[in-house]
Amino acid sequence: MKSKKVEDREGFKAAQALTVGHAQTTRVYDVPVVVDLSKCITGCQICIDSCPVDCLAVNPETTKAHMKYDECWYCLACELDCPKDAITVKIPFLIR
Amino acid sequence: MEERIIEADIVVVGGGSAGSTAAIRARESLPRGRVVLIEKAHVKRSGAIAIGMDGLNNAVIPGHATPEQYVKEITMANDGIVNQRAVLAYAESSFAMIQELDRWGVKFQKTESGDFDVKQVHNNGRYVLPMPEGYDLKKILTRKIRREGVQIVNRLAATRVLLDGDRACGIIGVDVRTGEIGVVLARAVILCCGASGRLGLPASGYLYGTYENPSNAGDGYSMAYHAGAELTGIECFQINPLIKDYNGPACAYVTGPLGGHTVNALGNRFIRSDYWSGQMMLEFHRELHSENGPVYLKLTHLAPETIEEIERVLHRTERPSRGRFHLGRRQSYDENLVEMHVSEIGLCSGHSASGVWVNERGETTVPGLYAAGDMACVPHNYLLGALTYGKICATSALDFISRAGAPALDADQVAAERARLLAPLSRPDGIPHHQYEYKVRRLVNDYLQPPKTANRMNKGLEYFLRAKDELDEVGAAGAHDLMRVAECGFIRDCAEMAARASLYRTESRWGLYHHRLDFPEMNDDEWFVHVNLKKGPDGAMVLFKRPVGEYVVPMSRAELSGYRDLRVSERSPPLEPPTVHDGMAAPP
Ligand SMILES: Cc1cc2nc3c(=O)[nH]c(=O)nc-3n(C[C@H](O)[C@H](O)[C@H](O)COP(=O)(O)OP(=O)(O)OC[C@H]3O[C@@H](n4cnc5c(N)ncnc54)[C@H](O)[C@@H]3O)c2cc1C
Ligand code: SF4
Ligand code: SF4
Repeated sequence: MKSKKVEDREGFKAAQALTVGHAQTTRVYDVPVVVDLSKCITGCQICIDSCPVDCLAVNPETTKAHMKYDECWYCLACELDCPKDAITVKIPFLIR
Repeated sequence: MEERIIEADIVVVGGGSAGSTAAIRARESLPRGRVVLIEKAHVKRSGAIAIGMDGLNNAVIPGHATPEQYVKEITMANDGIVNQRAVLAYAESSFAMIQELDRWGVKFQKTESGDFDVKQVHNNGRYVLPMPEGYDLKKILTRKIRREGVQIVNRLAATRVLLDGDRACGIIGVDVRTGEIGVVLARAVILCCGASGRLGLPASGYLYGTYENPSNAGDGYSMAYHAGAELTGIECFQINPLIKDYNGPACAYVTGPLGGHTVNALGNRFIRSDYWSGQMMLEFHRELHSENGPVYLKLTHLAPETIEEIERVLHRTERPSRGRFHLGRRQSYDENLVEMHVSEIGLCSGHSASGVWVNERGETTVPGLYAAGDMACVPHNYLLGALTYGKICATSALDFISRAGAPALDADQVAAERARLLAPLSRPDGIPHHQYEYKVRRLVNDYLQPPKTANRMNKGLEYFLRAKDELDEVGAAGAHDLMRVAECGFIRDCAEMAARASLYRTESRWGLYHHRLDFPEMNDDEWFVHVNLKKGPDGAMVLFKRPVGEYVVPMSRAELSGYRDLRVSERSPPLEPPTVHDGMAAPP
């Protein structure tokens, strides 16, 4: 039999779990769209315009294009439209 | 912060296939008018045809097929539940659309004598017109839109139709880059927002690993619903036979005419026709879950030149990453069978029959509101149906605005939607949108993937209602996330519609699309009707029957059952309950 103390604590935490706020983590993920920084031209936004799911953006740290959101449809629009052939799209790992 | 307000004669929402021709047609007739095209992505690469398309699946070309034959084929493939007038309007005006595309520079496959080279894929007639060089389709349409002077607004995701009384008078949405609220006040609204393609969860667990372009999250279904429009056939799900894991078309329409076909693990054919119908999907599903599964597309028997030809099309157009997918698994069409599976569910009238209720003029039940393409119910309408109905809607909208006065903007509606849209920014550390979406879509698989039962669907419905409250916990770190959170709402709405419509129709119909284990038979006496739904006066969803209109192309009962026996062999294994998703972890 559970002791009264354990039950009280569990009841209290169970209620608290319903109302407590959110917590975050930080971690870097591997993403499937790879931009060759030596080829990508600063100021060009062609691939960023092409992406139908809006997952590319300028990386402020490099001023070059990068995959900002891991939401790729592996459609290849960015790769086909890049004038510098700077992009390689890999099939996302979950379906590779 | 003030919102950006644009005034227009006609606003077209969604610049994919249907939206392109709607905008072009509207501008052609209103050279001094204001035609605004709103696109969530960028029109140059948006929608199902972002990377082109390898053929027209339903071309009704004189000398090869008649509109009446086509209407019969589609009526049969839908077990009789169609608005034939709407299908006929497509069949009669689609050839003119092909000729127009031809003039614009779209390259169709032709015979040596210059005739369109039409192929047979359907059970009865010949309607497939290959476009081996169809990768330029989107570019051609975009050039035409620009040339006509359509005002394009890219990266604005529409979220609600605005109403003046019960009349549609514009749209409101959010700029997915800046978070700015955008409003278009218009005299008529044409929704062309594509399918509800992010409804079920792909078995891979990858949220964006969908058949449809993921930008089509059911936005149009939900927006039409909240505007008070009727939707129909929602229980007639879209389920496709796709390359396993890749979740894209294989594609039987390209390979079929060149000699490819579907086989089971024994290498035997088991379906008579590779045309995508619910009846075909039922046989596919049975085979997959029998001792003869898995199911494959077989090309290994073809000549090397034919395989090269197939690769030239499949690896360049539509879903060109098919090539690198196969290479990644060290597989090729000449040496390996392509493993196929049954997709998760979606809503799409381009392939199946779920959509906003429209008549042969593209009118919804809301004045001033039109819908075309995958989101509007003209069954099996595909690409050419979207392009043709875009034009039809524009013509009807032009007629409407010539009679209707200028609408008024309701500041309260704008303020309410602005508050709803931007609320997730106030909880940047809230539930991430992809977790919310993963959960709803996983529940769709668990409870709605056919075969269906009332017990399971009622359970699912409970969760989808709970998800309505959970939506208030989802957070957004920026403008892009706001779009995703809005999509979460669309997806949830579509899940609720799918559950309720499927519960309402207490029979089985359309093969796998609405296969109910608790009502396994088709019951024409009670259910030879459309099931429609809309938002009731108190805000709750109401469902009701709408009679099937009198056929304009009469058909006998025997003709109606033309798609009911697609199996090659005599022995049909029993249908097993579905295996629910693979249980992969949610993507980061
Ligand atoms: C992979 C694939 C292969 C196919 N193959 C064939 C084929 O070979 N032959 C054939 O005939 N048919 C085929 N089809 C079907 C055909 O492509 C579609 O039926 C047709 O293109 C649908 O056109 P649409 O305008 O309804 O949707 P789409 O062309 O997808 O356009 C919808 C547009 O709306 C935009 N949008 C969505 N929500 C919003 C919002 N809230 N605000 C603003 N914009 C929004 C989207 O970004 C998109 O640009 C295929 C479809 C797919 C997905
Ligand atoms: S299109 Fe190419 S060059 Fe331009 S930003 Fe993208 S990666 Fe860089
Ligand atoms: S492949 Fe398509 S979806 Fe993926 S990043 Fe490039 S343009 Fe976007």
